[in-house]
Amino acid sequence: MSSKSDSKRFHSAAWRISLWATLAFALGTLLVFAGLHQFVANDIQRRSDAWLSGEVGTLGDVAERTPKDRLYHRVVGEVAELASREVPNRSRNQGKENDSVFFLQAGPTGPARLWVGAGDGEANLAAIRDQKVVPDVPFHLNVKGFPIPFRVVASPISDGSSIYLGLSERDELRVLRNLRARFLWLGLLIVLFGFGIVFYTTRRMLGHVREITEAASRIGESALSRRVPTTGHNDEIGQLSRTLNRMLDRIESSVHQLHTITDSLAHDLRSPLTAIRGKLEMSLSEAGASAKGEPMIVSAIEELDRLTEFLNTSLDVAEARADALRLTRTEIDLDEMMRVMMDLYEPCMSESGVRMQLRSGGAVKVFADAALVHRAVANLLDNELKHLPASCMVTICVQAENEAAVVTVEDDGPGFAAEIQDALFKRRVKGPDSSGRGLGLAFVEAVARAHGGTVMASNRAEGGARLVITLPCAREPLEPSGQAVAAGSG
Amino acid sequence: MQSMEYAFFMQLLLVEDELEIQGFLKTSLADAGYEVDVAGDGGTAEKLASAKVYDALIVDLGLPDQDGIDLILRLRRLGVSSPVIILSARRSVDDRVAGLEQGGDDYLTKPFALAELLARLRNLLKRNAAASLSPTTLQVGDLELDLLRRRASRGGEVLNLSPQEFVLLEYLCRHAGRVVTRSMLLAEVWGMRIQPDTNVVDVHIYRLRGKVDVEGREPLIKTLRGVGYVLKER
Repeated sequence: MSSKSDSKRFHSAAWRISLWATLAFALGTLLVFAGLHQFVANDIQRRSDAWLSGEVGTLGDVAERTPKDRLYHRVVGEVAELASREVPNRSRNQGKENDSVFFLQAGPTGPARLWVGAGDGEANLAAIRDQKVVPDVPFHLNVKGFPIPFRVVASPISDGSSIYLGLSERDELRVLRNLRARFLWLGLLIVLFGFGIVFYTTRRMLGHVREITEAASRIGESALSRRVPTTGHNDEIGQLSRTLNRMLDRIESSVHQLHTITDSLAHDLRSPLTAIRGKLEMSLSEAGASAKGEPMIVSAIEELDRLTEFLNTSLDVAEARADALRLTRTEIDLDEMMRVMMDLYEPCMSESGVRMQLRSGGAVKVFADAALVHRAVANLLDNELKHLPASCMVTICVQAENEAAVVTVEDDGPGFAAEIQDALFKRRVKGPDSSGRGLGLAFVEAVARAHGGTVMASNRAEGGARLVITLPCAREPLEPSGQAVAAGSG
Repeated sequence: MQSMEYAFFMQLLLVEDELEIQGFLKTSLADAGYEVDVAGDGGTAEKLASAKVYDALIVDLGLPDQDGIDLILRLRRLGVSSPVIILSARRSVDDRVAGLEQGGDDYLTKPFALAELLARLRNLLKRNAAASLSPTTLQVGDLELDLLRRRASRGGEVLNLSPQEFVLLEYLCRHAGRVVTRSMLLAEVWGMRIQPDTNVVDVHIYRLRGKVDVEGREPLIKTLRGVGYVLKER
């Protein structure tokens, strides 16, 4: 159940919109960050370079002016040491040994003349000599044994040697790493938050659309007086529901008009029929004694009743074709209904030599108009009675299949005539030997259709006809229409 | 006569605008022993109904000045509590009528059998007069029905009836002496408002008759062609 609703959520438009919006949002944020990162990295490097250039100048001066005696190492070393304490971007909690800065004085060949820094400086010197060095222009230096490269500036001095001041890029990289880590967390938070907001808003929006869809689909199969809910806002959703409601107004009024026409037609025909039938009945009771006129009067009454039934069915079929058949739905157990139908029809069937059997796996509930379903099934059984030769068998089968109730009526008689196979459900179509008016199956189809179901007619492979009526299974009765009317008028 | 016992002194108000129908209904209701006042529109009906207490009202839904349902609702508000038989040319029982029906009223679709109108009228008046009376046995001539043990006997001889046949016979006995139509039987015994164009009901009656009206006994179940059946002595 929950996995079903989950998959429904992941397929919803709200989910898709949120995903795409979040993706765009994340990409945008990433671009902004990349720019920011670049800017910060450049700025740090510029500052390091400025420091390096300044210090290397100072150190060059000192180295040049200091006499090359035995104090030279100490003086220049002290100065370099001091300079290294003022390294920009430096974190204070480093170890005692200062490995972020080195100072090196060396000629083009030979060993280093002066080394201030961690280790013995051999690797640094080797790395510097491997590179083409342009004086006073900072460059990258990867030193063997150090995972982090140095930024180095060279400054030639008058005695032919050069002094090199190197600054580890460790601190710079650390700042950038911090920046990235913070961005990652903050960015993730913002993106998640953004996703949440987008998802919530679109869900709310589309929730209205879903409500409208549900309401509209309910209206399709029940009372046309219901309306879809309106939000009260004048946005697209509000306009959608108002447009739908206006459309429903028009549909309702045309269906109402159809009802008025069929009702007044029925009324205009029924009133004279009532008067005629009444008079015939009265004359029948008067003629009771003189049996001479009786058979004619009786057959006239019977004809009149058939005409009435034909009129009813005709109008029902016409209304159902226009999807305007009026239903009074109640919960029906088809199994029970078919048993009663069997009870009613079995004697008559066996009188004409036809056997009847019911196959049912228990109660099958549908929410339908009992009178219409009765008439539809009675229609089918009347058909069987009229057309089936003796010693045939009629089988009624009731079962529930995928949330639908299926009633199958089949026989082992001659089946439907080939020439009417394709037009079984059309009005006035009837078999060559039929004495009916060809409304029966059209009516059955109309009833099934009005309930949101279907009818299929076919000839069985083993001979005989088969009719399959499918009706949607029972659902909770729709809530009273008052609520929807109130929403519709709002 | 049993059929007359409720009809005497019964006052009916017939509200119907079609003169043809008004005419024959008035005549046949009077023939059945009712006293009938006639109103051709809702206004007249309202005046008549508030001036006099009727035992039952017969109201056509399509009146010239107002809707029949509105008239019934207005009369109910005025305190008229008599049962109502609604006559309608509308094909389907609309929701508002369905609501009224629960109040003990009845509904007939035009065209209807006169016999059926009379039967329903009797039912309504009887239900109103003696609703609590429910006997445990029914007797018509030498036919006896034990409603508790669901057994029928004729002249002391137990009849071998199926449960369905017993229900059918019970209904005929309860309406002994009166005409019951096929659609009444279909509605009351089988619970369906259908009008089959085959003789399904007749076969049931034929079989029942075969068991009840055996050789040498006086036939009780009679067929009135074009109308229905009646169970009575002689």
